[in-house]
Amino acid sequence: ENREAMLSSKNNRLTEALEEANTLFDGVCRAREAALDAQFLVIASSIGKEKANELRSEMSAFDSAAFAEDLLTFMGINRMEETDDSEDGPGGFLPRDAWKKVGEEALKYIKRAPTFHYMLGSFKSEPPVPKQRIERQKKANRGKAERAMPAQLKKMEESYQEATEKEVERVLGILQTHFENDPNTPISFFDFVIDPNSFARTVENMFHVSFLIRDGLARIKLDEDELPVIEPTKPSAGGEEEIRTGARNQVIIKLDQQEWK
Amino acid sequence: QVSEVVQFLLVKDQKKIPIKRADLLKNVIREYRDAYSEIIKRASRTLQEVFGLKLVEIDSKRHTFILVNNLPHVEGKYLCGDKEKEKMGLLYTILSFIFMKGNSVKDIAVWEFLQMLHVYPGKQHSVFGDVRKLVTEELVRQKYLEITPIPVTDPPQFTFQWGPRAEKEISKKDVLNFVAKVQGKDPTFWASQYSEAQATP
Repeated sequence: ENREAMLSSKNNRLTEALEEANTLFDGVCRAREAALDAQFLVIASSIGKEKANELRSEMSAFDSAAFAEDLLTFMGINRMEETDDSEDGPGGFLPRDAWKKVGEEALKYIKRAPTFHYMLGSFKSEPPVPKQRIERQKKANRGKAERAMPAQLKKMEESYQEATEKEVERVLGILQTHFENDPNTPISFFDFVIDPNSFARTVENMFHVSFLIRDGLARIKLDEDELPVIEPTKPSAGGEEEIRTGARNQVIIKLDQQEWK
Repeated sequence: QVSEVVQFLLVKDQKKIPIKRADLLKNVIREYRDAYSEIIKRASRTLQEVFGLKLVEIDSKRHTFILVNNLPHVEGKYLCGDKEKEKMGLLYTILSFIFMKGNSVKDIAVWEFLQMLHVYPGKQHSVFGDVRKLVTEELVRQKYLEITPIPVTDPPQFTFQWGPRAEKEISKKDVLNFVAKVQGKDPTFWASQYSEAQATP
């Protein structure tokens, strides 16, 4: 325990202790005591070795206690009576900036690279939380937008469909009107669909007529000359059958601009 | 690549833990391995010319680096936080003690000395908190101090020495001057320490 004290070159404590042990050993009669004595010898020899080391060391004697005292003074110790603060040692209490003072002095001589910090900090902590909220909002918005989109499209499609349907109805109307004037005489298909002024319109007409055929509202037959004729169907009892029959026949009509002309 | 290396080194240095060459290769240089020495050379130059820092290899076997301030000391305050100042104050005190005592001291001696300064290993310190941890872990990890266990001791004992970073960042002459200043004596008062300090660059 008193190792440091014994090490001090200023006293002969080690020698004294050895002598004391010697004396004690004479009175030893139990093994346990002998063991203790042996232990003591081990420690004593290790201390002896250290003392020898210190002698060998070329360092001029350095009084660390004196250095400590002077350091405390440097730190600005207040050498009043002991306070209740258990941290303070005997001899007074240190001001708050005691170690800062030492540090400032020390830093003059330490070639320490100043630590590098980004001025504005890194993109951390904060964003994640709002981000989640933003994401949720975005999703909600998108949902609405998507809903708006299909609605719009539907409208367009409807109007498109309507347009077609209207056209088809219109064509049907024309066909029927024609037939009223000339019942039981199917109209030449080509006469009906061809628009002498516009190829595109012709095609459109054929397109609309095809709807009529599909829905069973009109019928195309071949007349004696093997030319197609068209006539509106009469709503009859066998209407359904006819529709089904009509649906099974597929005709592909090819018409290009040259023919049209 | 060079600027990436410079940035990497600067950021890694924040914790003052030595930088491993392996980390450098893995994270920054990667595919440019062959140009490694050239990159390092240029990075060193940038660090020196732009920041006044020196890239020093402190372990040639394990290839670890630290950044050392290479600018001559200018009178005036070193900019850093209070916590850092206090730690450096404690470190400098310990280093002074170690040097004056012959460059190698037992840990018990260090703690005995610190106790005289009201710093106790077992107690929470108002400035340093867990002092034992600060001294034996943090300062050792940063390579300011080096602890070596003494074989066949029970309870285990250690010796304290200057760490490689301390060797590079701090001069023995300055340490002796510090002790002399504190004690109001001339550095030549301690003859052998003085001659050793003069001998070390």
